Amino acid sequence: MLRAHIVVISLAALAVAGGCATKKPPVNQPTTQVPAPSAFPGAAGSTTGGAAAPTERPPAPPPVPDSGSVSADPLANKTPEQINSDSPLRPVFFAFDSDELDDSARSALDGNAQVLKHYGTWMISIEGHCDERGTAEYNLALGDRRALAARNYLISLGIGGNRIRTVSYGKEFPFDPGHTEASWANNRRAQFMVTSK
Amino acid sequence: MTISTSFGVGVLVAAAAAVAMTSRPMAAWISEPLQEQQTDVKLSLVGAGTQPRVGLPDFTADAGDAELADATKTLVEVLWKDLDFEREYYLIPRTASASIPVVADPASLPFARWKDLGADYVIVGVVHRNGVNLDIEFRMVGVKDEDAGKEKFSWHYGGTGCAIKNVRFCAHYISDDFHKKTRGLDGVARTKIAFASDRDASRMTGRLIQNAGSGKEIYIADYDGANQLPVTANRNLNVAPVWSPDARDLAYTSWVSGFMDIYVRSLYDARPPTRPAGVDNNIENNLAAWSPDGSKLAFASTRSGDWDIWVVNRDGTNLHNITNYPRGTDNAPVWSPTGAQIAFTSDRTGSNQIYVIGADGVGLRQLTFGCQGCDRPTWSPLNVIAYTAGAGPGHDIYALDLATNKTIQVTDGQGSNESPTFAPNGRHVAFVTTRWGKEQVAVIAINGRKDTLQRITEAGNNRYPNWSRTPGQ
Repeated sequence: MLRAHIVVISLAALAVAGGCATKKPPVNQPTTQVPAPSAFPGAAGSTTGGAAAPTERPPAPPPVPDSGSVSADPLANKTPEQINSDSPLRPVFFAFDSDELDDSARSALDGNAQVLKHYGTWMISIEGHCDERGTAEYNLALGDRRALAARNYLISLGIGGNRIRTVSYGKEFPFDPGHTEASWANNRRAQFMVTSK
Repeated sequence: MTISTSFGVGVLVAAAAAVAMTSRPMAAWISEPLQEQQTDVKLSLVGAGTQPRVGLPDFTADAGDAELADATKTLVEVLWKDLDFEREYYLIPRTASASIPVVADPASLPFARWKDLGADYVIVGVVHRNGVNLDIEFRMVGVKDEDAGKEKFSWHYGGTGCAIKNVRFCAHYISDDFHKKTRGLDGVARTKIAFASDRDASRMTGRLIQNAGSGKEIYIADYDGANQLPVTANRNLNVAPVWSPDARDLAYTSWVSGFMDIYVRSLYDARPPTRPAGVDNNIENNLAAWSPDGSKLAFASTRSGDWDIWVVNRDGTNLHNITNYPRGTDNAPVWSPTGAQIAFTSDRTGSNQIYVIGADGVGLRQLTFGCQGCDRPTWSPLNVIAYTAGAGPGHDIYALDLATNKTIQVTDGQGSNESPTFAPNGRHVAFVTTRWGKEQVAVIAINGRKDTLQRITEAGNNRYPNWSRTPGQ
């Protein structure tokens, strides 16, 4: 748990550095670690023999002894999966049926750009998501526009476009299962996933 | 419940093998007609002003064969629903005729009893065992006045297409054959519906996620909801399946590589799926639609930097942008019955409307104006375009007759109703509805008659239905 506290402190510092704060609930939540992607089962006999059963997240490695080195970066030894489970990259939120970035979205992205500049080798995927209103097909396109809007803004802040992929999940994966305006607001989002570092 | 990869694929291959087996003997499947009266049946039935009233009592099966008796019972029940579905005939409820003695010889039918029920015709069936198959003598006999006792239609059905173990398919075949021969109608009893479902709630594997959602797999089912089988088992997100015109392949959108792309997969052999829209993790491809000749796919793609409609040969060659509009979102393409045009949605005027463009990219025409929440056109062979619309929170299915330019509301406002897909003869649409709570696939006649509504799926959430163009093989 000690490491978790270090991460939180470090994130807070980054958020302050980015000059932003959000009233939105954090999107991160604990998840069961999923097994590695299996090959697409295109044909009988060519499958990987079934995906392995989900495994628990590996325990955090013991703290690195501070032997007088300058600063031990708490994220340095983490896998992308570990980073994503408690990410310094904050989600941005959108108005209904909109892919426009408002002030709070740009502020969150300013912070994310700081993180990406600090960790210059991170590659990320931006996921665009929608609330449950509107048709499934429409939302698949809208989600992509949201992810693209976030990507374009990060590029305008100097982040290399080759580091940023986008993917839309439409309304397939709501963060908040509720059916209220508050739930919908949480679900109209772009999320940032570290894919490699 | 989760489904293992090996299980899902195994079921699919077994199902494909079973279906393929029934396809081979088609030519030999129908024996010679017992009599020759069937030639004048067309004349006497086609064009009748009102639906003929038909009784379908139990068929007579060889005595002392419990398995045959069970199969015969299922055969008649499925056949009743198949014939009732198209509304070419009014099928007298079997409960109403249950007390009328069943006969094997049409001459001994209790005509007065059937006349009391208003029957114009009664179907008399005699079922024999032929190894593992059924052998069915099928007759339709007149009831009223000068028609009483006259054989109006007779046929002999059998062969491996009427396997005792697959008797639903046999009933579907008889229904389609009977509709074709007596009404000139291409029935849809052997067609299938594909859709995406989260019923197995598998955790996604290919996504580095904060909040892992349940994935969706592609499923197929008979048109009446029977025989639901998974096609994919990759524990990822898979949506929007579309049948190739010959019903041998499915194209669908999958995120299995970490982004939205179109996969084409055969149901009948073990080839790995192909990705004709191109494999580029900076481009998203979605909502494929087959050209009527099966040679091309239209789809929505971000390849040009915004969503446009693209067309590609199924082998991946000749990829080109047909809408090529620099702004906005063009989405949800569908081909016209002849393949000359493509309907799609676009928000280029500010809100989503339905447009039609030539398959060569010229001749753009706006079809709807001021439509709210317009989405997902589907184009019937009768030149009707059905689509989703509604200001929300719910949507309904509407149908626009291109010949008359008249629009009717098909669904009744209960729950939200989305994603219509036409039956190949244009008489029904399958669609997604929330009227029963979760998202389910349902079927309704295109005229919206409430008593034609049928629920197709039960478990989980089910979205993106697509109705096969031709009978399954």
